[in-house]
Amino acid sequence: MRALRTIFHLAVLGGAVALLARGMNGLTPNTCETYCPFGGVAALYSLIRYRGYTCALSEMNVAMLVSLVVLTLVAKKSFCSWVCPLGTLQEWLGRLGRRVFGRWFRIPDGIDAWLIGLRYVALVLVLGLTWTVWQGDLGFRAYDPFYILFTWGGHETLRLSFLIVVGVLGIALVVPFFWCRYLCPLGAVMDPLSRFGALRIRRDSGTCIDCGVCDAVCPHRIPVSSVEEVTARNCTNCLECVVECPEEGALSISLCGK
Amino acid sequence: MKKASIIPVAVVALTALAFATVNAYRVPTVEHSFVDARPATVATVEYTVEGLKCRGTSLGFARQIAGVPGIVSLTTYARTRTGVVEYDPTLTDPEAIREAFERPIVQDGKSYDVFRMLSARVID
Repeated sequence: MRALRTIFHLAVLGGAVALLARGMNGLTPNTCETYCPFGGVAALYSLIRYRGYTCALSEMNVAMLVSLVVLTLVAKKSFCSWVCPLGTLQEWLGRLGRRVFGRWFRIPDGIDAWLIGLRYVALVLVLGLTWTVWQGDLGFRAYDPFYILFTWGGHETLRLSFLIVVGVLGIALVVPFFWCRYLCPLGAVMDPLSRFGALRIRRDSGTCIDCGVCDAVCPHRIPVSSVEEVTARNCTNCLECVVECPEEGALSISLCGK
Repeated sequence: MKKASIIPVAVVALTALAFATVNAYRVPTVEHSFVDARPATVATVEYTVEGLKCRGTSLGFARQIAGVPGIVSLTTYARTRTGVVEYDPTLTDPEAIREAFERPIVQDGKSYDVFRMLSARVID
């Protein structure tokens, strides 16, 4: 399953790079943001206000958002660990950092709980500014590492933008999924839906030997060994805990509790 | 792990569904009427235009053709770079409209070639 996920990562990342190359050569007007589901959230303003789309948003963003909502209800935040190219880069950098430094840096629980709230602040800020000050314009592009990176400094990016990308990717070396965990506004949109995701990791307490490997390998700091079923909003179904579990059958995937 | 295969299947199926149904959500980027009363005869031409890529450029496109006598309305779809123009065929034609939107835009003393027609199709 890990190999299959890697294939997905390479396919999506390859697609994003190919799109970037085609755009740079004038072969397509589309950029990575054409397919970004967060664009669907941002588009709600213009759809209500103008009955149209602002900036480069289109029905593709809305279609992607609808698909994302369904996917999250089926498989929690699988989008983050199977599709999102920024998530992929952070995962790879996290692995590299672990190899180089021997471990991940763990932000203390109290600070972590506070920092997690930042993604809701980011969501409110981005949508609030988009729908008021920016009047539907995608002013957050200059601060969005996904847009800056996969348009290679596209429209509206600033010098500061590249520092943001370097910062986000640099921190991912020591704090896995820093952007996803603390700042991604799309993650905040998915949070309430993710709790209801039908496909979940299930732990058989009779088979589990309480070795704690699942807790150690979870990049999202979910205490898998202390629950019967992972309902945590942060679970991205990356399946690292299932793959690494030394006791066959202790961890499995359940669909609607079965 | 069999149930885990639902994840990649769901990802592929839902992405395919998004692409397949995208036109069901089709909403114009800009809809603009240039006249108060529609003329007796109206013809429609659909252009695919390089440079037509968002709401801002759609409004710029509207400004470019606004001065052409006989222009009735403009509807743009930025994702497909499409501009649908309704016009009075007794007053103008697709070639005059093309010339209008392709003329350079002068801003701060500099001239910019913003729009270039890639194709045109007279609808009726």
